[in-house]
Amino acid sequence: MRRASWALAAAGLLVLTACAGPGPEANAGGAPKELTVWIMGDSSAHFEQLVKPFADRSGIGVDTVAIPWDSVDQKFTTAVASGNGPDVLQIGLSKLRTFADSGALLELDERTLKDHPGLAAANFLDGVAGFATTDGGDPVSVPWVSDTRVLFYRTDILADRGLTEPPATWDEVRAHAKVLAGRGKGRYGFHIPQWDNALPVIMTWTQGGRIVDAAGAIDFDTPEFRKAVDIYTGLYADGSVPADPDFDQVQGFVSGVTPMLVSGPYLGGAIAAAAPELDGKWAVAPIPGGAARTSLLAGSNLAVWRASDNRDGALRLLDHLSQPQTQLTWYALDGQLPVTKAALGDPKLTSDPLTAVYAAQLADANPLPPVPNWDGETGKALLDTLNSIVLTGANRDTALRDLYAATSGTSAG
Amino acid sequence: MRIVSPRGLTVTIGVVLSAGALLTAFPFLWMIFGSVKPHSEAVGHPPRILPEEPTLRYFAQLFGELDFARYLINTVVVVLISMAGVVLMAMAGYGFAKFRFRGRGLMFFLVLATMMVPVQVTMIPTYLVLNGMKLTDTLVGIALPGLVSGFGVFLFRQFMVTVPTEMIEAARIDGAAEARIFWRIVLPLSRPVMAVQIILTFIGAWNSFLWPLIIAGDERLYTLSVGVSLLNRQIATSPSLQMAGSTLMVVPVLIVFVLFQRHIVRGFTLSGLR
Amino acid sequence: MRQPLAPYAFVAPALLLLLTFGVLPILVALPVSVTDLNLGGLADWSRVGFAGLDNYRRLFADHAFWQALANTGIFVLIGVPAVIAVSFVAALLLHRSENRFFRALRAFYFVPAITAIVAVSLVWGYLLNTQFGLVNHLLSIVGLPPARWLGDPVLVKLSVTLVAVWRGTGLNIIIFLAALKAIPREYLEAAELDGASELRKVVSIVIPLLRFAVFFVAVTTVIAWLQFFDEPFVLTKGGPLGESTSISLFLYQKGFAAGQFGYAGAGTVVLFVIIAGVTLIQLRARRSDADR
Repeated sequence: MRRASWALAAAGLLVLTACAGPGPEANAGGAPKELTVWIMGDSSAHFEQLVKPFADRSGIGVDTVAIPWDSVDQKFTTAVASGNGPDVLQIGLSKLRTFADSGALLELDERTLKDHPGLAAANFLDGVAGFATTDGGDPVSVPWVSDTRVLFYRTDILADRGLTEPPATWDEVRAHAKVLAGRGKGRYGFHIPQWDNALPVIMTWTQGGRIVDAAGAIDFDTPEFRKAVDIYTGLYADGSVPADPDFDQVQGFVSGVTPMLVSGPYLGGAIAAAAPELDGKWAVAPIPGGAARTSLLAGSNLAVWRASDNRDGALRLLDHLSQPQTQLTWYALDGQLPVTKAALGDPKLTSDPLTAVYAAQLADANPLPPVPNWDGETGKALLDTLNSIVLTGANRDTALRDLYAATSGTSAG
Repeated sequence: MRIVSPRGLTVTIGVVLSAGALLTAFPFLWMIFGSVKPHSEAVGHPPRILPEEPTLRYFAQLFGELDFARYLINTVVVVLISMAGVVLMAMAGYGFAKFRFRGRGLMFFLVLATMMVPVQVTMIPTYLVLNGMKLTDTLVGIALPGLVSGFGVFLFRQFMVTVPTEMIEAARIDGAAEARIFWRIVLPLSRPVMAVQIILTFIGAWNSFLWPLIIAGDERLYTLSVGVSLLNRQIATSPSLQMAGSTLMVVPVLIVFVLFQRHIVRGFTLSGLR
Repeated sequence: MRQPLAPYAFVAPALLLLLTFGVLPILVALPVSVTDLNLGGLADWSRVGFAGLDNYRRLFADHAFWQALANTGIFVLIGVPAVIAVSFVAALLLHRSENRFFRALRAFYFVPAITAIVAVSLVWGYLLNTQFGLVNHLLSIVGLPPARWLGDPVLVKLSVTLVAVWRGTGLNIIIFLAALKAIPREYLEAAELDGASELRKVVSIVIPLLRFAVFFVAVTTVIAWLQFFDEPFVLTKGGPLGESTSISLFLYQKGFAAGQFGYAGAGTVVLFVIIAGVTLIQLRARRSDADR
């Protein structure tokens, strides 16, 4: 036994000397340096394909590092602490403010972008172009991929109940949902994910309201927001929405338990993969609304690490990634929607009925306000308030008053 | 008064244990079946345990499109390096158990104290230390923070206290050096706890997630845990692929455990510790 | 041959590693807890300011902190005895025989302990899903109503504890088995010759001889459960509405994930004091018990 453990240890030491990591010599001086790029999730294999033409053309190697979605905070924090970061990194919009505040990202002012007309704000969707996140500062990122929310509905189930058109206003949503919930026990009309802190905001926008006041601070104390709360709580009160926090959207839609819901393009892909037999039995429609049909603009941007030793190369890579052709190729490879106006108007996208709806919706979409830690604080307070009203029966006025007190004044950029 | 025959009792116990084993291992079986279910079955309702059209497509994807072969190798290397830690912990446990020396109480408390810290706190200081030692982005750097655990030292100490001191004293009187006493007498007597700690170290190193994630600058050094975590997309996950990744993580450990078990038992009956 | 430095030589390597990667972070947490260190401060030390006891004041005024503390207390009170009892009984039963069958059974009990938490959460999340999970499906087959395993404020604590107990017993079964094997056969054989029943053998011989092992398992299990993190993090993210948030998870969400390192530092110090206190009480109790 003891001999075995010695042998194991010795073998281990041998193996480790053989497999010692890349080491700092890998990037020794010389002309075109390598770019290290952090990409979220399992898209890294596809990303390598995407940047191959760029690498071939410019001679700058691109080293893609895949970062698990759940761990981006840890990676970023340790990088900031030590100063060792990548050259380019993908940042989800909800995290942008936090990362920008750290000061670790390169400011992309007019001077820096002078040689890169492809990165000019005008090329990108209005909602996210020049998304400045620091106080009166310059943007620290350029948009890369977009995401939005639209209405998904089961055409077959709705038709069964005599509903031939998707709902166009929230009142219609409530009415449709009531009819659909009337199909029987365990059947609902709509799904509200209990973790979705964007939906109440979307509901407010479609009433024509905003949640950021003129001074740039969060303000929920508006009549439009209260209308949104009424819609949200009304759907629960009608019994049209399941009250389980772990309700699975895909299974709900595919099984028909919740034939209407608000979600993003990823759901379209998930439904197609999970239930190809449902082809033709479901469709998407623009977000319902009254005064406006404004939906959510989500997605990711790309930023340059301030301490990068290859800023020029990084900017050239960003330029390449913003080209309409690259954006369309990325959509074909990885299923993430483009964010440049040129790409979104391309017939390749507009000819498909699903993407046509997504692209049209993106033209009327807002990002969530860039407060520090939206998910952990403001968004969480919003969700907790609403969920406490609908799930635990808290008093609506008290809960809302507490929400206003807790969130008003939070600076949004 | 014996009501039940000893053999009868054994059989009853066997039955009870089997039922318990089935319940305990059921989620694991669900995972294995899930790894070969096509996507439509994985999200199908009502849920079925057995797959109707099993497919190995997801395992192929792990090794083909995704880099799991490399993650597997990295994980094995980290485990091997960690085995050195077992010896270090045994030494420390012995020192605390069988010697009186100045500062023993304080040092042992510090050992225990390391168990009382949530691991997130250690993240940044550890990274900075490894960065200073130029060990970031190496497999040694990944294995180092978890090489020794307070738990292991505590475990060894508890068991080594029961090692008969007379044997050690006798060897000392015979003129043996301390190191020799440790290797030749104490360690062999500690076979059961050594086996336990080797298994624990193996599991810990195999499943290690936090350090490989943070310390690796490149996915070339990622371990299996990080690889499986990569499969978790924001919302639209592929359950079968995740199950396949998880199965890949569990099955080798189980095989090692089963093989190792017989070794322990055999070693024991031969060791003469009675 | 007296080697007075021998103990230091034995203890030094492990101690050095533990000091660097275990003690140092605690020592760092204390000064950090009286600053307003955040992500920006990490990048640029000049941006860090002294905050006095502000972080502590905010912590104790935070309703979510007390909720997390209460939850952790519940987890420990239910989970620790459960783990110890189940592991002990299972080890006793498994020790019954050395034949192949029993040896094979051991592997099954060990499986939860070796499965990575990522995988565990996936599987249990699917099984316990209120609407689509297998457990509720089986309940509906026998006519029972579905239960909100991960959605009900009370049930969620039990579900999370159950998964953690399921995971935690494997290791402790191994430890108890090793300890049981160390009991000299003669003791048990002698008792049998005297006519002692199985139960009496267990109570009078096995349990007293296993005192060390039981104590060890008790101390380490309490420490581990006070730091309960993995299961609530992956199964419920602390929900619904903070009902399954443990103290460690609270620290992670409020502190580390939000980049509020000063605040997290304060919470860490408080948690450490609690754990150290509880452990010292256990050690004292043991010492006074051993003196008797």
